[in-house]
Amino acid sequence: MTASAITPPTVPPIFSSGRPRNRLSRYTNLLAKAACTLSALLALSVLFLILGFVLYRGVGGLSLNLFTKLPGPVGSPIGMENCIIGTIILIAISSAIGVPVGMLCGIYLAEYSRGGFFAHTVRLLVDVIAGTPSIVVGVLGYELIVVPTGHFSGWAGGAALAFLMCPIVARTTEDMLKLVPKAYREGSIGVGASKSQTLFRVVLPAARAGIITGLMLAIARVAGETAPLLFTALGNDQLVVNPSQPFPSLTLEIFKYATSAEDQWRQQAWAGMLVLVSIIVLLSAAVRYTTRRTTHAR
Amino acid sequence: MTTAPALPPALPDERFSAVPRTRSRLRRITLILLDKITFGAAFGGVLVMFGLLGLVLWILLKYAWPAITHFGLRFLATTQWDPVNDKFGALPMIYGTAVSSVIALLLAVPVSVGTAIFITRIAPKWLAGPVSFLVELLAAIPSLAYGLWGALVMVPWLQNHGEPALQSLLEHVKIIPLGQNADHSMSYFPANLVAGGAYGSDLLAGGLILALMIIPIITAISRDVLHTVPRDLEDGAYGLGATWWQVTRIALAYSKVGIFGAVILGLARAVGETMAVVMVIGNTNQISGSLFGGAQTMAGLLANEFLEADHALYYSALVYVALILLVSTLLMNTAARLLLARLSRPRTR
Repeated sequence: MTASAITPPTVPPIFSSGRPRNRLSRYTNLLAKAACTLSALLALSVLFLILGFVLYRGVGGLSLNLFTKLPGPVGSPIGMENCIIGTIILIAISSAIGVPVGMLCGIYLAEYSRGGFFAHTVRLLVDVIAGTPSIVVGVLGYELIVVPTGHFSGWAGGAALAFLMCPIVARTTEDMLKLVPKAYREGSIGVGASKSQTLFRVVLPAARAGIITGLMLAIARVAGETAPLLFTALGNDQLVVNPSQPFPSLTLEIFKYATSAEDQWRQQAWAGMLVLVSIIVLLSAAVRYTTRRTTHAR
Repeated sequence: MTTAPALPPALPDERFSAVPRTRSRLRRITLILLDKITFGAAFGGVLVMFGLLGLVLWILLKYAWPAITHFGLRFLATTQWDPVNDKFGALPMIYGTAVSSVIALLLAVPVSVGTAIFITRIAPKWLAGPVSFLVELLAAIPSLAYGLWGALVMVPWLQNHGEPALQSLLEHVKIIPLGQNADHSMSYFPANLVAGGAYGSDLLAGGLILALMIIPIITAISRDVLHTVPRDLEDGAYGLGATWWQVTRIALAYSKVGIFGAVILGLARAVGETMAVVMVIGNTNQISGSLFGGAQTMAGLLANEFLEADHALYYSALVYVALILLVSTLLMNTAARLLLARLSRPRTR
């Protein structure tokens, strides 16, 4: 068989960039692209629809009273001062418990585990715990803290939120520590530092921005939780700072107002939601801004 | 000629430590001790994680035990939820959870996968980033915001416009032949998918709001999965003259396991969701063959009745429901994570 007997096949252009040559494929292509673009538009419109309504309905109820007055009967000037303070205290309690535990777990996964079966199991476990239905966490808090102590309390609410916070903090800490180049650790060990010195003086400072980012995300997530607080913090119309009493939270108050039939209360619900959503959106935007800057710097 | 300074004698653990032997004995002991404490603390964090899962399972099992021994597995198939006569069955709640979640998946999966394809394969770089961010922002919005919007905006709209329109459209379609009789028994009869009054708070509303909530999750993970499709595969397909759509189908086929994992993750989220659903689904413990029937989910039942349980068996039955909810989401999350983890490991051929 000679080489000349082989006729070269008609080669399609190598970098056709997927532009179809027959009409049917062209229409299929166009249709598929249009469908995907449309679904992206749909997904984004959901965001703008919800944010838009929160803004539109919430702005009307936004006043100084919201931050300086307590909840009260319909018709009187009412606010959510105690709830805003309550949410901040609840976040502080949950961070005090959840951040150390989560960070330690993340440090173990990034710095000490050798990527074997155990590490995979722990990672899976952390992910699975992160998926625990929040209402079940509320039930747990009720049985572990509310029943033994005999009353609903901010401690119980904070502990329930901490349960949800731990896995988020653990995974983000791990991810951020893994972004620190291995050479940092080797260099540190090389000049005679111990493992813990390397961790505290080199690796953690290098990952600081990222870890703070992760903490902010965890706080944003926890700040919007309602279900775990239903059976633990319960809510309170008074201004309380002592967490061993039934404790107010922004989310609980919004839920109460949203399910009422009073227009003024519904208005309060929208205004409260506007405050909550603004905090969360600001945190998320700040996170995006900082992470973008650090990745550019690298 | 210089001689190296004599090194102090080795400490018991020194072979495994990074602490060099050029320091004083006390300093070395301190450093090695600190290393051990740090490791111990980090490992302690891991143990706490294991402890949390063990704790929640043990506590729920402990308090649900009276109901488990009393009702057994029949609890899952009993349609009655009657606290007054101490007759408890979780089937209406399981049905409500399952149907609302399935509606959510049917609506959310096409949109999510489409959006993921848009981000990874259609949008120019300057657009893909912001769209990605906005989708993640959607995931960060608290479920209470979805619930508030659902209850005060979507439900009235469904009641006045959406559902009457749907009703006139689907009036004569009889699909779901399963319904609950007045005496709580189940029977098959030709049911109308859109039977009953259009009140807005119903299975359809629950499914819709859940769909909105799981779109960002499924989208974000599908996007990550689609990003892992090897460039060679696409180039090869393009080189053979494949069209954009054909290459996209190849990419989807390549990442189908991961997308399946993303879908299960979304399902787990829908099943475990409380606040958004409880505000729109009607909260009636019944099985309705109609999309316009009120329903109840397991999480919603807990939110509504947990603090009202006034006797032991009632309380225990509610914890039993919580246990079913926990175990089912644990199983789904584990399955999804295993599917997704298999992808991130290097593939062997």
